[in-house]
Amino acid sequence: MAYSFQFRVIEDNFDHFLYGLALGLALAFAAIFIGTLIGLACAFATTAKAQWPSRLVGIYVSAIRNTPLLVIILFVYFALPQTGIRLGKLESFVFSLAIYAGAYLTEVFRAGLAGVPRGVTDAGRAIGLTGLQLALYVISPIMWRNCLPSLGTTFISLFKDTSLAAIIAIPELTYQARKLNTETFRVAEAWATASLLYLATCLLIAAGLRQLERRFPKF
Amino acid sequence: MEHFLHELWIARWALLQGMLLTVEISAASILCGSVIGLLAGIGLTYGKWPLRLPIRALVDCIRGIPVLVLILASFYLLTFAGINLTAVESGLLALSIFCGAHMGEIIRGALQSIPVTQIDAGRAIGLTFPRILIYVLIPQAMRQIMPVWVNTGAELVKASTLLSVIGTGELLLRTQEIVGRNFMTLEFYGLCGLLYFLINSVIEHLGKFASRRFALQ
Amino acid sequence: MTLLAIRGLTKNFGPVEILKGVDLEVNKGEVVSIIGASGSGKTTLLRCVNLLEDFNSGEIVLDGVAIGYTGTGSGRRRLGERELARQRAMTGMVFQSFNLFPHLSALGNIMLGLTKVRHMPKRAAQQLALSWLARVGLDDRASHLPSQLSGGQQQRVAIARALAMDPKLVLLDEITSALDPELVGEVLNTIKLLAKEGTTMLIVTHEMHFARDVAHRTIFMDGGLIAEQGPSAKLFRNPKNARLKDFLKRANI
Repeated sequence: MAYSFQFRVIEDNFDHFLYGLALGLALAFAAIFIGTLIGLACAFATTAKAQWPSRLVGIYVSAIRNTPLLVIILFVYFALPQTGIRLGKLESFVFSLAIYAGAYLTEVFRAGLAGVPRGVTDAGRAIGLTGLQLALYVISPIMWRNCLPSLGTTFISLFKDTSLAAIIAIPELTYQARKLNTETFRVAEAWATASLLYLATCLLIAAGLRQLERRFPKF
Repeated sequence: MEHFLHELWIARWALLQGMLLTVEISAASILCGSVIGLLAGIGLTYGKWPLRLPIRALVDCIRGIPVLVLILASFYLLTFAGINLTAVESGLLALSIFCGAHMGEIIRGALQSIPVTQIDAGRAIGLTFPRILIYVLIPQAMRQIMPVWVNTGAELVKASTLLSVIGTGELLLRTQEIVGRNFMTLEFYGLCGLLYFLINSVIEHLGKFASRRFALQ
Repeated sequence: MTLLAIRGLTKNFGPVEILKGVDLEVNKGEVVSIIGASGSGKTTLLRCVNLLEDFNSGEIVLDGVAIGYTGTGSGRRRLGERELARQRAMTGMVFQSFNLFPHLSALGNIMLGLTKVRHMPKRAAQQLALSWLARVGLDDRASHLPSQLSGGQQQRVAIARALAMDPKLVLLDEITSALDPELVGEVLNTIKLLAKEGTTMLIVTHEMHFARDVAHRTIFMDGGLIAEQGPSAKLFRNPKNARLKDFLKRANI
């Protein structure tokens, strides 16, 4: 059987694809936002003098990093309601991706903090900055610049991870492609379109981050 | 608790089979992926542009597409194209390609960090390029590749859960089947997460052991 | 008038005793240099005075106030972070490796302490910072990032950053050690100028000529103790301590 491409189907359904892409981006944005807060809190907690925050953060990071995201998503969506925590589909996905992102971003920020020279924080203390001022005006700016490249890769990979939302029937891009695939059997067109849209978005994010890196040159 | 143990006893073989398949799929895909990655990495580093450009494009494309899309696409496309692969086989194909693209980048990075003078030194003692690769360049690159390689192994174990979507009976799908029977979502999804954590912890420790061995050399 | 009084200062790093009971007084307007082999405790002494290190016993009195701790004996307690920060602002410190804030311009480096610690209005802080940059001869480099400056220029910015805070005491920790030889002069000239203006300074240095020519008094540290001290000219001309004689001979002065 010869297969002839029919991009009419894609044209007719392009709105769905765009909607799916936008939904995926929104999910990624929400999860990255919450994940960044978690990551910052955890990374700074490990700089405390006391040992227990580091140990706690270590357990969180290794537990999440060694568990598949899909298992976390299914656990939060199907198992948590058993304990009385009932979340909507979207909220439960964002929650899952956020704690997943938090673990990875903790590592990114921790590496960024490790790259802040000891002498520079000494200099900040020497002019009389308090701990909070030091973190705000000296450590954070250097840390952000240090982790810009790895933040970029992490953001992109988190955006790609929003494809897993399709598995709990959130109508994002992968879901739309699969739906078109099963409804019209335009298999090649459906997956080519979804792949291209993902690819283009990833390239766009990467380009944006490269611009950002250029705007803030290495010290 | 007793109820859970009872259900666990019933499900023991299913879980074990699932775990076994998960490990098998991960191992097979990292092996295939590493071979693809090695070839891609060498091509990207030392290939002339007619070779380098298409590899670069392919690697970048694959890295810009979510694994789940790769898995679904290879599953549906191959079936549709009349190539009859089982779910496991088409999943394995997708994971290997995914792994290959990532390893390709890693290996390129490691190879590029070796000074070019090493190639000159190899030529000077009369080695051909393939031999320089095998005896001079790759051994030096290994130290950088090892830790990331182990990491990729853990990533593949995690990515293998996505094969449950196309009906591969690995650990997650087995768990879903069990939960579908007894509705003990909290217990069995929790157990499933724990088992993955264990598998990956073992890989992590093996990796630390291996990198220590490599660091000593 | 005594500005800084250190009494019986001891400091351990684990089992290693770095300072074994240092006594030292510095008068207002005095320039005191500290010399000695590496590992003799010079830098640690300076870092203790700026409260970057805690110490095990003894006291440091700055302008009549014991700093770093409250209480004595077993009731001795390290002050809270806020209070330490306040006390650190009374002394200025210049480091061997400059330690400029890499993300801030030369001007920004000087302004940060003025606006956040001294709570000066932005405009006034900028004026003051610019005037300090002019004094170290770098007013044309105000908007440069540290990475765009030479080592000597970076160190002069660091000096301006410390001095702009109007500290009671300035601590200089081997400030020329990381510089290329041809850049040492410009930094030392800046310090000479400050000495002439009556800035109280405690200087750890390897530049023996500089110690002799600029410091009113020189201190020789050996094994965590002050082994000999006296007016610089006298100490260099007529050392008594055998280890100091040996040290000066090897320093070729």
